[in-house]
Amino acid sequence: MIDVQNLSKQYQIAKRDPGLAGAVKSLFSRKYETKQAVQDISFQIQKGEMVGYIGANGAGKSTTIKMLSGILTPSSGVVRVNGIVPYENRRRNASQIGAVFGQRTQLFWDIPIRESYHLLKHIYQVPETEFQQRLEMFTDVLDLGPLLGIPVRQMSLGQKMRAELAAAFLHNPAVVFLDEPTIGLDVAVKDRIRAFIREMNRQQETTVILTTHDMQDIEEICNRIIIIDGGKILYDGALQAIKERFGDKRTIHFDLEKNDGFTIPYALATRVEQVVSHREAAGKSNSISLSFNNAEITAAEVISEMMQAYTIRDLTIDEVHIEQIVKDIYERGL
Amino acid sequence: MIRAYYEIAKSQVKLDFAYGAWFWSSMVSSILQMLVLFYFWRAVYANGPSELHGYKLDDMITYMVVASMIGGYTNGAGGKLAEDIRGGLVAIELMRPYDQLSKLVALDLGGKFGYFLRNTVPILVLAFLFFHINLPPSWGAAAMFPLSTALGVLIGAQFDLLVGIMAFYTVNIWGLRVLRDAVLLFFTGQLVPVMLFPEWLQSVNRFLPFQSMVYVPVSIYTGALRGAEAWVQVGIQAAWLLGVFLLVRWTWSRAMRKVTIFGG
Ligand SMILES: Nc1ncnc2c1ncn2[C@@H]1O[C@H](COP(=O)(O)OP(=O)(O)OP(=O)(O)O)[C@@H](O)[C@H]1O
Ligand SMILES: [Mg+2]
Repeated sequence: MIDVQNLSKQYQIAKRDPGLAGAVKSLFSRKYETKQAVQDISFQIQKGEMVGYIGANGAGKSTTIKMLSGILTPSSGVVRVNGIVPYENRRRNASQIGAVFGQRTQLFWDIPIRESYHLLKHIYQVPETEFQQRLEMFTDVLDLGPLLGIPVRQMSLGQKMRAELAAAFLHNPAVVFLDEPTIGLDVAVKDRIRAFIREMNRQQETTVILTTHDMQDIEEICNRIIIIDGGKILYDGALQAIKERFGDKRTIHFDLEKNDGFTIPYALATRVEQVVSHREAAGKSNSISLSFNNAEITAAEVISEMMQAYTIRDLTIDEVHIEQIVKDIYERGL
Repeated sequence: MIRAYYEIAKSQVKLDFAYGAWFWSSMVSSILQMLVLFYFWRAVYANGPSELHGYKLDDMITYMVVASMIGGYTNGAGGKLAEDIRGGLVAIELMRPYDQLSKLVALDLGGKFGYFLRNTVPILVLAFLFFHINLPPSWGAAAMFPLSTALGVLIGAQFDLLVGIMAFYTVNIWGLRVLRDAVLLFFTGQLVPVMLFPEWLQSVNRFLPFQSMVYVPVSIYTGALRGAEAWVQVGIQAAWLLGVFLLVRWTWSRAMRKVTIFGG
């Protein structure tokens, strides 16, 4: 379905000396700096796969998605989506893909979304009966009923996102690109969105590529992940393998009553390691952070041992962040 | 695909009607503008000569009313385009299976339909019932007038897109639009008939597209342009339309190359 070979993208950034002198100088001679956003990446994605495309900020995720959707022309390499080269055959590619860009709306700003969908029906030439069926199902799963009469302009972020998602799937595209579709949403809306994506994939075998910074998105939607860092692919494979290696790592932050010479309780000593987290750095000297592998010891065990040894005022358990996993892979390798 | 563009135009019409207050205030303002024009030129003629370069009072009123009626159409989707460019929407729209420029033209035509009902219809009523403007001198002129007007309006719409595309290259699109408005108001012949320009300015204007937008259709209406001469001017209009259209396409494809290579 998607075939990417030795894909690279460099951006040219006009460099300018600071100040007025720099501005004047730039009128006469421009220096360009090249920024390598994506570097020689290759992968294949089969029909119906749901792939998480993850990496830290600036890793090159959006750049890749833009090349796959035809918005950007690669510097080198080849992309084929369903046999079509997106940046050469933009309009043909457009009718077989759908996309949501988390920070941008694609719906018509001023008109009620029902009208927007009606327009999209004509733009993508969706047969009327299919359109009605799909809209009904979307309204149901995404709870769009109360929103249909409202323009995007008047919607909250979560409402907008649900509306966008429906728009992206309305013409039953073979491939859907979702660039941070859950950014800034509350848990309930995230759940609906994830359920919707899974449902579409199950019914239509839609191929989904998803970028996100939310581990939960990945766990609930994707069966495969591609990790990118500094424009290069670090890992491409099953989610499970990564999780077994890194995902079970937990950190608990304890807030102690008093802290005079903390030592790790004997029962934990071999399986738990003390780490310096940003809290201690911030001067909360009564805080202690312990890191451990969930496969070796449970959080409950760690907490109970700690409570026996010390008086604990408060504690928080850190979630596993993709950024952390990426960093671990980067630093220690797979 | 034509159907899609038609639906896009229709959505713009609906949108315009949705803003009721704006609809009525726009109508009232265009009526007021007409009245000001009417009384201004009456005052000019009352205190001065009975003829200005061959224009009697009723000729002048006829010219001014028809010119302002057409002049309202010389804008286009350029403002929207500039907004889309600055907001980065232009890149996202590359993922739509339509032609972005055609979509903008469709939106614009939809807007113009609303404008017709809200501004042109009341002006027509006012013009014929109260100002008693002249009718075209012949059936031929009456038939040629809509054709020439359509060409003029389309030239204006394409020219406006051209100004809009400049948003790719300059931050100060606002200044450019103000300049455009001023140039159009004067050189199209909306403010005063081109015939009243000094001779040298008339010659310059003959080589510019602006008089094709308003002056030519109005002159066909009044009969100042007739017969073979009128057809030549319509031909020139068609040529300008083609020229500006091609220029728009060319700058657009260059800009798109820039967008897809530099990332906007
Ligand atoms: N239009 C552009 N011009 C110049 N450089 C750009 C442009 N867009 C992105 N970049 C640079 O390319 C690199 C990759 O950016 P990209 O947007 O693909 O990252 P990302 O993985 O999507 O990050 P995020 O998680 O923050 O969305 C970054 O270093 C960024 O600064
Ligand atoms: Mg991004």
